[in-house]
Amino acid sequence: MADVSFQKVRKAFGSAVAVKSLDLAIGSGEFVSLLGPSGCGKTTTLRMLAGLEFPTEGEIRIGDRVVNAVPPGQRDIAMVFQSYALYPHMSVGENIAYPLKKRGVGRAERDAKVASVAATLQLGALLDRKPRQLSGGQQQRVALGRALVRDPKVFLLDEPLSNLDAKLRAHMRAELIELHRKLGKTFIYVTHDQLEAMTMSDRIAVMHEGDLQQFGAPMQVYEKPANLFVAGFIGSPAMNLLPGMIESSGSGLAFVRQGLRLAVGAGGQAGQKVTIGVRPEDIALGSGPFVATVRIVEPTGHETIVMADIGGQSAIVRVQPDTAHVVGSETPFAVRTSRLHAFDSVTGARLDLAFAPPAS
Amino acid sequence: MKTLAGRIAFNLFAWTVVLVTAFPLIWMILTSVKPQFELFRIPPTFWPEQITFEHYVRLIYETPFLKYMRNSLILGFTTTIVVVVVATLGAHSLVRFRYPGRERLAQMVLFTYLLPSVVLILPLYLMMVWLGIANTIFSLVIAYTTFALPYALWLLRSFMQGIPDDLEAAALVDGATRMEAFVDVILPQALPGIISTSLFTFILAWNEYLYALVLVNTDEARPLTTGVMSMLVSAFNIEWSLLMAASVMMSLPLIIIFAFLQKYLTRGFGAGGVKG
Repeated sequence: MADVSFQKVRKAFGSAVAVKSLDLAIGSGEFVSLLGPSGCGKTTTLRMLAGLEFPTEGEIRIGDRVVNAVPPGQRDIAMVFQSYALYPHMSVGENIAYPLKKRGVGRAERDAKVASVAATLQLGALLDRKPRQLSGGQQQRVALGRALVRDPKVFLLDEPLSNLDAKLRAHMRAELIELHRKLGKTFIYVTHDQLEAMTMSDRIAVMHEGDLQQFGAPMQVYEKPANLFVAGFIGSPAMNLLPGMIESSGSGLAFVRQGLRLAVGAGGQAGQKVTIGVRPEDIALGSGPFVATVRIVEPTGHETIVMADIGGQSAIVRVQPDTAHVVGSETPFAVRTSRLHAFDSVTGARLDLAFAPPAS
Repeated sequence: MKTLAGRIAFNLFAWTVVLVTAFPLIWMILTSVKPQFELFRIPPTFWPEQITFEHYVRLIYETPFLKYMRNSLILGFTTTIVVVVVATLGAHSLVRFRYPGRERLAQMVLFTYLLPSVVLILPLYLMMVWLGIANTIFSLVIAYTTFALPYALWLLRSFMQGIPDDLEAAALVDGATRMEAFVDVILPQALPGIISTSLFTFILAWNEYLYALVLVNTDEARPLTTGVMSMLVSAFNIEWSLLMAASVMMSLPLIIIFAFLQKYLTRGFGAGGVKG
């Protein structure tokens, strides 16, 4: 049963439409990330769920209750803000206790719950401090503590890790995964960082310009991107997108562009404008039927990223660190046709094309 | 590094400015404790030959000074409370809520502040008469509110703009109502702004002369500014020693308030200048 659902939800600020027509059903206990670039509508979606914005059209449900007109405090949700939004004039203990206080929980019970949450998040020694006396990581924990203390049905997290340094972020990511597993509650997590979305989520909702692009498990989104946007957005380094055309080739069809010609086994029609997507790890430099020019070589230690020119377009290739490539040199390459993606260049939609393995 | 001569010159200049500014105040205090016969002596004396507090005693026991003081205090505090309550809620609304004409409204408020206050005297007086509240302290409260409110609103608006939206949103999610979020979270953050706005309004109400002169014509409602003048200054005689004693006592409340809250006042005037 869906714990949270959006039905044809639209949100406009004056003439600017932030969310177009969102249908999304999130299961109970799921960890779902809303992923997309800035301005894609993910934060607006979360704020609508929190009750901080009201949808222009459509219905939002938490459990089996329509919450469109329910004030934030009565939705049984807790939220962690990107800025943490700790009350500066209250101590850490008062900050964590605030949601309980507003719900009329007695002092003794309040203190016990604050102590228990503080113990979980290792904040026990900091309860009397003011937020400004804490480090970024500690502030982040307090914000989390304030959400945890109430035992809500749904947790909303708005880019909670974006203000932390890389090391702390990796650490907190692991802690959040652990926390979600322990609590078994529904987590809805807004981020523009695909690494966070990929590593933490049960499912990812990719959004772009107010539209839901794809909703699926991380590997499904990675392996079968629904359209050109998702293909380009998910994956780091990004998928290489090479536009071309389907042409008749002898008895069958082939995808053709400058410097590349791939036989199409099934699907497609001659004259169709098609963009193929190749992940950097699915191009093999060193041997193969095509030729690329090496432009830039970036060794990172555990792998080397090569920027190569394929028929006038630069493409990113991931290679083993022990292979040597000389900048400016021409090198043969092959693509793993079984892992190619194809999209309609006009609509951007995923196409069901099968590429024949190269004749050897 | 500055030379010694440069430092001395700078200090001399600074102290000259301070003395020139402070001299009337010093003269006021000295005059208020000189006996009557010493005031008009030629050549004049700077330090009193004899210190006396008789003028203060006369002022308190033989004149309606205390009544004026009471009126001024009521006037000052009531105006301050009305202005601060309305301006705080108004500024919050202008900053937080989205409604059509919000910016226009803020500009119109500023426009009323730009209007010379003397322009409003006659319309206000006629309104007070029509409402039947002319000659009361309440009429002055309304009048002062009309020109203190726009400034207070703008001052507090710039303060409130510095308070992150997320704080209030967090309070709402945590279960607070709009009003609770305002009281629990916004007010404590806006406190420096509220204090400096209060000071500004109180000083304005305490020192105002023109409206008090036109709108109130009875000792029962007269504040200190006009009360002292009508009591001690006539066409034929000015009671200098009493006037100086009254001036000293009128200045005292402001000096005390200033001494304690000065840092908020300067912070208030700087609000909105720097973001963050």
